[in-house]
Amino acid sequence: MSWNVDFSKFLVFDGAMGTMLQAYGMKAGELSERYNIEKPEVIEKIHKAYIGAGADVITTNTFGANRYKLNDKDLPLEDVIGSAVEIARKAAKDKLVALDIGPLGQLMEPYGSLSFEAAYEAFKEQITVGASAGADLIIIETMSDIYEVRAAILAARENSSLPIICTMTFQEDGRTLTGTDPLTMVNILQNLGIAALGINCSLGPKEMMPLVYEVLKYSRIPVIVQPNAGLPKMVGNETVFEINPEKFAAYGRQMAESGVRLLGGCCGTTPEHIKALKSALAGLKPAKNEIKRITAASSSTCTVVLGGEVKIIGERINPTGKKRLKQALIEGDMDYILREAVDQKDNGAHMLDVNVGLPEIDEKAVMVKVVKEIQGIVNLPLQIDSVRPEVIEAGVRVCNGRPIINSVNGEDKAMESILPIVKKYGCLMVALTLDEKGIPETAEDRLKIAEKIIKKASEYGIPKEDIIVDCLVLTASAQQREVKETIKAVRLVKEKLGVMTTLGVSNVSFGLPARGILNRTFLAAALSAGLDAPIMNPMEADMRDTVRAFNVLWNHDRDSKDYINAYTDIKTKPQSNVNRSSKDLKKIIIDGMKEEVKEVVKELLKEFRGLEIVDNYLIPALDTVGEKYEKGEIFLPQLILSAETVKNAFEVIKEDMMENSSQDKAINKGNIVIATVKGDIHDIGKNIAKILLENYGFRVYDLGKDVAKEKIIEKVKEVKAPLVGLSALMTTTVQSMEETIKALRLHCPDCVVMAGGAVLNENYANMIGADFYVKDARDSVKVAEMVLKGSKNN
Amino acid sequence: MNIDRMEVLRYLGYKNQSIDEAMENLIYECIAEIREVMKKSFVYNIYDIEKQGDKVILKDTNLIFESRYLRDHLQNSDRCALMAATLGIEVDKRIGYYSRLNLTKGIVMDACATAAIEAVCDEVQEEIKEMAQKAGYNITDRYSPGYGDLSITHQKAIIEVLKAHIRIGLTVNKNYIMIPRKSVTALIGLHRGEENVVVDKCSRCKEKNCMYRKCGDANELEC
Repeated sequence: MSWNVDFSKFLVFDGAMGTMLQAYGMKAGELSERYNIEKPEVIEKIHKAYIGAGADVITTNTFGANRYKLNDKDLPLEDVIGSAVEIARKAAKDKLVALDIGPLGQLMEPYGSLSFEAAYEAFKEQITVGASAGADLIIIETMSDIYEVRAAILAARENSSLPIICTMTFQEDGRTLTGTDPLTMVNILQNLGIAALGINCSLGPKEMMPLVYEVLKYSRIPVIVQPNAGLPKMVGNETVFEINPEKFAAYGRQMAESGVRLLGGCCGTTPEHIKALKSALAGLKPAKNEIKRITAASSSTCTVVLGGEVKIIGERINPTGKKRLKQALIEGDMDYILREAVDQKDNGAHMLDVNVGLPEIDEKAVMVKVVKEIQGIVNLPLQIDSVRPEVIEAGVRVCNGRPIINSVNGEDKAMESILPIVKKYGCLMVALTLDEKGIPETAEDRLKIAEKIIKKASEYGIPKEDIIVDCLVLTASAQQREVKETIKAVRLVKEKLGVMTTLGVSNVSFGLPARGILNRTFLAAALSAGLDAPIMNPMEADMRDTVRAFNVLWNHDRDSKDYINAYTDIKTKPQSNVNRSSKDLKKIIIDGMKEEVKEVVKELLKEFRGLEIVDNYLIPALDTVGEKYEKGEIFLPQLILSAETVKNAFEVIKEDMMENSSQDKAINKGNIVIATVKGDIHDIGKNIAKILLENYGFRVYDLGKDVAKEKIIEKVKEVKAPLVGLSALMTTTVQSMEETIKALRLHCPDCVVMAGGAVLNENYANMIGADFYVKDARDSVKVAEMVLKGSKNN
Repeated sequence: MNIDRMEVLRYLGYKNQSIDEAMENLIYECIAEIREVMKKSFVYNIYDIEKQGDKVILKDTNLIFESRYLRDHLQNSDRCALMAATLGIEVDKRIGYYSRLNLTKGIVMDACATAAIEAVCDEVQEEIKEMAQKAGYNITDRYSPGYGDLSITHQKAIIEVLKAHIRIGLTVNKNYIMIPRKSVTALIGLHRGEENVVVDKCSRCKEKNCMYRKCGDANELEC
């Protein structure tokens, strides 16, 4: 890339700004960015001191200059950043000015309130101002959350052409505060088109060393390190740092000798530290490290490296041929989809394919939602799967990690639309060996298509290590002769091209009985031909067993550790022996035996219709449990355990109805929209209400937590819900509840509102305009029964 | 650090109901899991304080608290410790995970985490006490934004003064809710007199009907 900055030489950055400002009398808690406007001369003096000490790059005083940290203050961002760049420019003369971008100070969704899109907008604002004010490069620094970094990098790349440097800050356990390890950081960031990456802050240089080596091992782009001057210590009332300039510089030299290219200081460092560092580097030549390319996908906290041990890509999140999943996608039932994700992980999937292609839904919007939901719950890398480029781009954009794109093929049109996305977002991709003419019959012709895609990809700057070739499985029932061509193609591709391979294995058995036998046999053959990452159903024991056995026989599973782990107590495990009579169903619910209940309901369904079971067993049992709870005979977790048991019973009944094409009408006593209001992130109480309402047969549309009033209104209108349940737990968010109710009155005047949450009481709820105050989840059921009586709206 | 089973039960609204073996095991399992995933971290600093009317001013910072209750709490103190502690975001993730997939466990995990952050704060308080005593001081109890008339909006400024975002990953959102969820900010007074720590923290709260309320000195679970 053609940047105006030469990253092939050592670059020395400046040291701390905050430490220096404190020496000039800044109080703890004060906004240092205020000085850009009020005392620019102080900032200039500090910059000059660093330039005088030999810094090649100085960093603008804009670490916290974003709309979240500077909001309620009378400091317009443009002025603060514009002035900061101007001051630095003046001091720098022919040296370089780096626009400083720190974390926004808010945690990202789903655990915090900050959405990926909002983070992007905030960074965009800073970068646009800073770039036009004349910065030479952008440094995104002291980051803990790789998702936030991704938003910042995208904002920087899409709104400026300046080189970008990124640093993250690590804890003593070798991870960032949100759990990212050095390999994962490198694997995600170095593929996003930035100039340099590295580590800063948190630790002193000594503690940082092992992490720096880890980063150097994988990074193909220049590495930057900016340590603190040791760990902070309290001496009397003051925080002091323990590493003096000489020691600091010695560590700096050691890092430079190991391959670090850009060096500077963070908290506690002064111009003296930088001066010593600069002279320690004198005469040293930048080290050149040979980095072996790997094929690796990442979530935010875990990286899966392909090659060697076989890695499983879970295939279950794909509606093709799955009625229940289709329904979940149409209804927006995220819990069902999450369950699929979690089950696959628990059964050994290393990565998850995500395909939400259904004509009935807005595939792009649903892809974004599903990706966000899954990555909030499961830490496996994702494979974004769609035939539509715009869906793929939307999915990988919000993906917190380095995803795989599934897929591109040998058609020119497909390559031209997908390859730029792969490059821009630094993804891996699956390359299908088919083109305009379809799937070639012979292995040799499939190899040719793989070659063509690899060649074309390299024109886009995508190396073959980022490509996983899929030689395509044909079904034995239709194209028996060609089944083994696939195995041959895998072997050829592996030998001639040396790339990683994948296959959607279970296609082979389509249309034949006892599919498991064909699948596992084909899988074993493909694995021995060089298949690295089968796309398969990890819930099928046959397939899982084959992979585990293969890993032992091919010497990937050293000392058969995983294998022994998985199978040692297989015989000693008691067989699940549920042989209860139907009479026990009520007791099973009251006792909260939520696994056992499934078998019992399945038994009952042979005899009774679903609705009969609901009316004769589930509801009476629930009433009993509810009464016990009200009398104080059981406490909250026991109530919820029973509710979960009923939920599982419902799930079995639902599936039965779907398979038997609805002999009964779906159970729905009426639609209810529930949400925790905007600004509030507490959702346990709301989740409790949800499960109880569902238990009683209401269709609950759960919008989650921190929900804007517009979204609530939209949903109420869409599903014509006669009742809304709102939850807020804090005094500060009751106001948000009041605004939501007001808006509902205006736009959905017929809708009844019930409100609950720790800070509310009857009076308070009335005051903010709710129709009903519900003190707990049981109460919300009573209100729902009353409001929706006779008003079945489906 | 110990997560007390009885405290966990109190946060679950327990009133002497019988607990079967499965529930008992679940509670111990959750206690173990919270201990495993929590990354307890804390920061604190000591400041001289000045009082003007109902205002408490922390010197060398931009913090000014306007709160009669806090002023009373720090009546005899001329210095105070300002602290922030958290269990880290992994605890939120784990509770979030279970509350989507296994709500019963999610609820028990949440209670365990609440008990855990209180225990962490007790440890920090103990550390501050030891330090204070070496300097000839004694300490008051912890006082947090949200108690009495001390607004939770102060949490933002406290986090900024302690640089708690960078140092321990603690943030507040627009509505002043701290994230990670299981986090505490507090002030502890340092004074020359006797130790002044209230054993029964519930006694100073106005919410007489709170489901978590401990009942005086008697066995808290018999009320």
